[in-house]
Amino acid sequence: MKDPFVLFWAALIFASIAWYAFLVFYLGIKAGLEIRELTQTLEQRK
Amino acid sequence: MTLSLVDWLIVLFYLAVCLAAGLWMRRYVRGVEDFAVAGRAVHVNLGITSLAATELGLVTVMYTAQLGYEKGFAGAIIGVLMALGMFLVGKTGFVIEPLRNAGVMTIPELFEKRFSKKVRWLAGLFVALGGLLNMGIFLRLGGDFLVYATGMPPHYLEWVMTILLGLVLLYTAFGGMLSVLVTDYIQFLVVGTGLVVTSVLVITHIGWENLINGLNTAWTASGGQSAHPFNPFHASSFGAGYLIWQFIFQIACATTWQTQISRLLSAKDAKTGRQMYSRAAFYFVGRFALPGLWGAAAFVYFTQRGGLPANLNSLTAMPTFLSTLLPMGLLGLVVAAMIAAEMSTVSGYMLTWETVIYNDLVMPCLKKPLSPKGQMLLTRGLLLGIAVFLLFYGLWYQLPGNAWDYLAVTGNIYIASVFTLLISALYWPRATTTGAFAALILGAIGPLTFLVVNAVVDKSHQIAPEIAGVSSFGLAFAGMLIGSLLTPAKPIQK
Repeated sequence: MKDPFVLFWAALIFASIAWYAFLVFYLGIKAGLEIRELTQTLEQRK
Repeated sequence: MTLSLVDWLIVLFYLAVCLAAGLWMRRYVRGVEDFAVAGRAVHVNLGITSLAATELGLVTVMYTAQLGYEKGFAGAIIGVLMALGMFLVGKTGFVIEPLRNAGVMTIPELFEKRFSKKVRWLAGLFVALGGLLNMGIFLRLGGDFLVYATGMPPHYLEWVMTILLGLVLLYTAFGGMLSVLVTDYIQFLVVGTGLVVTSVLVITHIGWENLINGLNTAWTASGGQSAHPFNPFHASSFGAGYLIWQFIFQIACATTWQTQISRLLSAKDAKTGRQMYSRAAFYFVGRFALPGLWGAAAFVYFTQRGGLPANLNSLTAMPTFLSTLLPMGLLGLVVAAMIAAEMSTVSGYMLTWETVIYNDLVMPCLKKPLSPKGQMLLTRGLLLGIAVFLLFYGLWYQLPGNAWDYLAVTGNIYIASVFTLLISALYWPRATTTGAFAALILGAIGPLTFLVVNAVVDKSHQIAPEIAGVSSFGLAFAGMLIGSLLTPAKPIQK
């Protein structure tokens, strides 16, 4: 049987790769839109 | 040189985009509040990208890879504890919710409201001192990566560091937090892509089974003398005592580390700040696990080829390993990603420590308030001063042990005491100014003793980092408790 620690680290490493790949796209779009909103808010304050 | 013309073009293109974006945000800065906390108009996703980019620097990649090289996958347990700490703090709002609701720009500012102006000043001094010493090794470690990954001559290191720092200083000094947010966003995308691509390449190149077997074989061959590569609780690895200290330390970090707190204080409200914490938590696992994977792979790679060459060490093994496996074009992308990591961290940290020096050390001492122009001039002057300090400290300081321990201990100069003060200020009405002073001074003694003693004694007599860490928390809490109980409490101002 596989060492449970090895399984634990394998799960975390592969989950991290998948999570980072997802975040690059997801936050890339969401945060990009928020930058636009932020600059519009700041522009109105001027 | 390992980098080809294509690689260099990718790096230069990235730098140009970053600089242009940073300078473009300058037009929106109207005053110190826009400069320091982006007008408190930051939404959750942008906050997460900025928090993640700032806390994942090239220095992070270097020390987490070093942990991976020395302790195998078990080295990433620190990331798991960090993520757990962030998640718990985000979900419960422990400290961060009342802190954001207080409407302050820095943590020491809260201490003036709750204790006194002198407590604010002393806390500001420790925060700035701990933060600047902590940041002092960023450039050196980042420069090491660039030298070994790109194959550039080592004597170029100082010049490359200086130019990079100059670029960061330029956009940070003009646009403050607004520039930092936008450049952090670009850097988050580039770093994320670089981490994913490199991790997949590392696993493909070394082979997953080969990696696990290689780590196991090396551990068995050492007769249990080297650190267990998978079990962090094993006595040869971190051990339970160190991990308990780390868990306390990570909770304290999540609530007091000013670079994280500055994102919280820039959030549009407390709920957004809490969401930033809980949603960004798992990112901190990868922050340790992925570079740790590269470090562990570098260990197996060199072990299977007769051991580490004499000119390399556990820090420089990973970038050298990467330079052997990344193809043309991808190496440029990874180097750009690592430069991005360095820039986002340095800009975020410089701005944070500058804000503390300005807000908590200089402003309380001024008899007359400065004009808006004078305020901006002063903030920019302070940023320049920090950059000069980084350049010189980064050049001459030699690390006494591994990089993670240095970072944890220097951060702890203020984390233990400020954590104690924060909890007391927010949750213990009986806390007094005398208790606050005692906590600040006693909390700094452990880490400062560690730094001084370990710099002058030989390795066998050095103080263990967990002893320095735990003692500073114990001393700070004892100081607050005894100092407060011995003096009368004054009514809390609403």
